[in-house]
Formats: sequence, structure tokens, C-alpha cells
Amino acid sequence: MTKMDKILPKSSFSRWLKSLSSMKVFFPKKEASGWTLTEVAADGTIPPDYSYAVVPPKKLIFPQEEIFFEFQQTADDGLQLRETLPEVPPQVIVGVRPCDGRAVAALDQVFSGSFEDPYYWRRRRATILIGLACNTPPSNNCFCLSLEGSPSSEEGLDLLLTDLGDRYYVRVLTEKGGELIKTQSSLFSDPTEEEKNLRNKISQEGAQKIKRNLEAARELPPKLKTMFDSPFWDEAALSCLRCGICTYLCPTCHCFDINDETRALAPLKGRRVRTWDTCQFPDFTMHSSGHNPRPNRASRLRQRLLHKFLYFVELYDRFQCVGCGRCLDLCPVGIDIIEVLSKARNHGA
Amino acid sequence: MVSEDKLREEVSELLQEGKIKYFIGFENGGPGCLARPAFIQQPEAVGRLIWSPGCVHNLTRFLQDEKRRRAREKNPDLRPVGLIVKGCDSRAINVLLQEKYIERKDVYLIGVSCELMGVIDEAKITRRLYPAKPLQVKFGAKDTILVSTDQGESEIAASEVLADRCLECPANFPLVADVVFGEKINKPNPQPYKSIASFEAKSLEERWAFWQDQFSRCLRCYACRSVCPMCYCDECVADSIAYAVSADTTAEEKAQKVKWVERNPEPQENIFYHLVRATHLAGRCVDCGECERVCPVGLPLRLLNKKLEKEAKALFGYEVGFDANLPPLISCFRDNDPQDFIR
Repeated sequence: MTKMDKILPKSSFSRWLKSLSSMKVFFPKKEASGWTLTEVAADGTIPPDYSYAVVPPKKLIFPQEEIFFEFQQTADDGLQLRETLPEVPPQVIVGVRPCDGRAVAALDQVFSGSFEDPYYWRRRRATILIGLACNTPPSNNCFCLSLEGSPSSEEGLDLLLTDLGDRYYVRVLTEKGGELIKTQSSLFSDPTEEEKNLRNKISQEGAQKIKRNLEAARELPPKLKTMFDSPFWDEAALSCLRCGICTYLCPTCHCFDINDETRALAPLKGRRVRTWDTCQFPDFTMHSSGHNPRPNRASRLRQRLLHKFLYFVELYDRFQCVGCGRCLDLCPVGIDIIEVLSKARNHGA
Repeated sequence: MVSEDKLREEVSELLQEGKIKYFIGFENGGPGCLARPAFIQQPEAVGRLIWSPGCVHNLTRFLQDEKRRRAREKNPDLRPVGLIVKGCDSRAINVLLQEKYIERKDVYLIGVSCELMGVIDEAKITRRLYPAKPLQVKFGAKDTILVSTDQGESEIAASEVLADRCLECPANFPLVADVVFGEKINKPNPQPYKSIASFEAKSLEERWAFWQDQFSRCLRCYACRSVCPMCYCDECVADSIAYAVSADTTAEEKAQKVKWVERNPEPQENIFYHLVRATHLAGRCVDCGECERVCPVGLPLRLLNKKLEKEAKALFGYEVGFDANLPPLISCFRDNDPQDFIR
């Protein structure tokens, strides 16, 4: 569809959100530990100090736990399966940062292709993403510009809001997004030339405020391809604690484990469950023989970076990193993906 | 005051003389205004080493990696590893010695005295200085911390931004070390359990509701376990596969492995994990506060551990990490231990 631009005064923002109350609305909420996306009564506007949701929006589309089916032993010793495809009521996520929108677009590719994951797509199709452009970078470690994104990127989003002070500049990007505006069209007006210019100016300034930069990212894949056996990774992973923070909180990481959980023994009853998993846990690649092809932290750090900056690029011609800065902000020991990749590029040069 | 220059000189000499295998200290470059662990292999690299209120990490955790490395290598280099220990970290060393996880000769300890300060709680500084973003911290003149931000320098009273655990610290000076920088200054500790007081005032039902709510948010990233110097088990009930599986493990043995906890992050599984961890830390936790610091969803794990610390002291007169020659709390029995729970 063609994009459409509108203006929404902040004084009308809550009224608009209230009009969406037939859906689940997730909204940024400040907790002691940082921002979350919480189902709260829509009131007021997006707080000016909102940075990013520590647990990214992927959690609402690709939840940490998904029940695939339930099983039960029958009287004749057979097994009865019950499908548990999720019934997902329409949900709106407000305040999605543009990088997180791009991350959802990357997840869409992973869960499509030759096999379309029904659990993922049931949630995805029920989800509307309302983005919020970054007038100032949410983190010191934002580097979306280095990875083909921007603080006003539109990919993956249904609407993109830009804060103009007392108004939101609303860009409608999809049919789904357009529907949200239709019912309350009286609240919205068409932007003036002045407002269009202001929006462009704010977007440009937002981009200029980004300090971190990963140079020439497209040069990384061929370089990384030569580095599989390099001792470089040993040094880079010296302080890694093998925790799951960098991957669980990554908006694009999507690896999972599948387990059968037994709930009763006679008759046997249980369920098959998908949960998040991470290449950073030692047991991620543990074979049943006891052999582990990624036996140490170096090989696991290498996997994380090669997946994001080599394998994914080979598969989808895009990075599996959107430069949100979470893994840098939250790593307990300060492993800095920009620094590691920059060193990798210059390694042995 | 701890002199960074003298610290660097000492490490440089140790490396030059080959007395240590490598050195673990702190360098700038952690997230926000925190330092980060630095592994120094060459004397030329000692310039990276710093000492600041951002040196929050308990570096004794990395002794686990060294121990595993030694077990793996055919002819391991058995020279000691050098590392910086604050008072709290030195208590962890004492526990590891008590439990015979390490030997004293495995480590060369450079102690640093926190004197009347300590390390910061980054969240407190971030809140205090918003919207400025803190980039680096240094010790200021008496009782202050200097913060450089993206909008210039700020000087803040230390008491406002020190980590809670530092405000309740019983050991501001290293209890075990080969050399110590900084002065030994007696630091009053009038309210050692202040942070658990309001929690203790709650009823049992309120506490249970509180923890159910908290643990329901856990992502099971296991950062609390991964960062803990005491969580050194090769096999953990929380893992889906026990590491102890080897090529010789039979199918029958594998089938008999009990799966204690499911991978799903539902409250009952999360609570099981955290309570197992907490009970295994009773009489062992030195309150370095790292588990709580690293938790990405802000679980108040210190509350649990501090409460157990207080119980151990009240019931058994046991204080963790002050004497490496004492037997560990859990593995000793005295005639006068309370027994009224036996019916």
C-alpha cells in the first residue's frame, strides 16, 4: 500500500489508544530494572525517558515457551495427541523501536521459507507493531546505522510515530496500521509542509546523535569466513561467563529447544514444549554421546557472531543483528560486539 | 588511596619474572560507566589496568575457567593466576579454600582496600544523573565519586550511589592477599542487614506472593549462576543435560538421569531453580552481589542470600569467608548446634 502521513496531537493519544481496547495493548512501562512492554491501561503518552524494552518485543511473538501439543496414553496403549495451536487475540505493541521492528522482519524470514511455522505466524498475524522513531538514541551503544537500519527505519512496523513535541507524526505503513486509524479518523489531521520538514529534521538529528559505529559491515562476512579456526576467538571469549543474556535479550536470536514434559505416568500424560535456547549454553550442542562439537567459550562466541554476520547473510542477504545495543549494554563482563567485530576484521591484516 | 601506578608496576614485575601465568584485573570499557574484567598476559599490557568505583566484578569467578583449563590440558602451566581481590572477593577466596576448590598456591592475590568507599550501583548513578549518560567513574576527594557523562563531569556523594552491599559491607579490607594496596581503615557497619529489614517485616504469605511474582519474570538466562564464584558445579540440576555424560556413559545410565527441572520458564520451574541455588549458597554466599547486578530483569536475589546469611549467623554463629581454616558450615556439626527442628 502507499504510505500515508498523519498528525495526532498528544492530547488525543490516550483517546486513540482507548479506541483500541478491543485488542491487547502492550505499552512501555518503567520498572526498577528497566523498561518493559506491559499490558497496562492506556493513559498518557509514551514517557519521554523511554529507552527500549529490555526484553524485546520478540517475546510477544516468539514467546519463551510454546506448547506444541499434548499427549495422553489411551486404554489400548496408544497415544492420543491434542493440537494446541495458540488462539491469539489481536495485540498491539506500542513504542517498538525501529531496530526491533527490523528484528521482527528478520524473524519473519526465519519462520517462513520452505516451512511456515504455524505457532509463530498465529501470533505474528495477530500482532500490530506501532513504532517510535528515536529522537535520541535509546542507548550509548546504539549502532543501527552501521547495519542498514536507522532511527526512523520503517521495516517490520505497521505505524511509525515520531515525537514532534506536542504532536506525533504518524506514518501509516501497512493496511493493518491503516485500520487502527480509520475508526478514529477525526483525531488525525494531514501534516502541513512545516510538520513534514520538522519530522525530517528530527529524524536526521536523531541519526546524527548515534555515536557507535561498526565500519564497513558488509566486509565482515567474507573475512569471518576465513576465521573459523582462528585463535582470535580464544582471546575474545576470555571473560565470557556462558550465560544467556546476549542471546535471550537479542531481538533477532531465535534458537529453541523442544522437550517432552511428562505430567503423569499411568496413564502417561504430557506435552511437547518449545522453549528458547541459546548457543551460549554449553549443553546447546551436546550430543547424546557426550561429545560436544562446540566445547568451549571461544567456539560459542564464534557461533554467535558468525551466525549473525556470516551464515544469516549467506541465507537471507541481511545481518542477523540490528544494532540495538542490548548485548553490549547488558553483558555482565562488557563483551562489546562492535569491538570484537572490528578486531576480527583487522585480525591478521 | 590505591595507586594505579603501583598496582601496574606490581603486575608488570610479576609477569616479567614469570611468577604468575596471567593476571586478571579491571580495565575501562564495560557497559555504561562500569569497568570490565581484563586478562593481562604481557607486561606491556599493564597500562590497561585500572582501579575505580566501577570495578564491581568478583574476579574469583574466573578461577573456574582456569580450573577447567587445567583439567583439560595434558601438561598444564601450574603457575598461580594473579588477580585483584576486594574485601568481599577475598571472602570468596576463603570459601574456595575451605571447600578445597582451589589451593592457596594456585592464586597470587593483589588485594585492594575499599577504605571508606566501595563500588557503585550503576542504576543509582543512571537515575541520579538522568538525562545525562554516565560514561566513567573515578574516586573523588573524600567520600565522593566523580562521574564523567556525555554532558560533562559530576561529583556525587558516595553514599548516594554505592552498591547496597557496600553500604552493608563487613569486610572493606582483603582478608587474604599476597600484597595489599590501600589503607586498612575501620569502617563502621551499623546496619549490616538493612536491605532485608522491610522484607523480614512481611508475613509469610506476603513473602511467598512476592517471590512468586518475582520469579515469574525470570528468563532463566542463568546469568546469576554463571557469574557466581560459588556456582562451580560441573553438573547442575538446572541443566537439561548433565555435563557429566561422557563417551563411556551407557544408554541405561543416561535414561536414569533425573530431570529435576523443566526448561519452560513457568513459575514452579523458576522457583525450583532459584530455591535450589539459594539453599546451595547458604553459608557460602559472600554477598558480592553479582547475581543481582547482572540479572537483566532485576530479580532482587541479594534479598534471598542476605537472609540466609543472617540465618547462618543467628543459628550457628557462622560468618562466611572470614576464616579459611574453618570447616564449611554445611559439612560440620557441633554439639551445641540447634536441634529443635528434629522431632
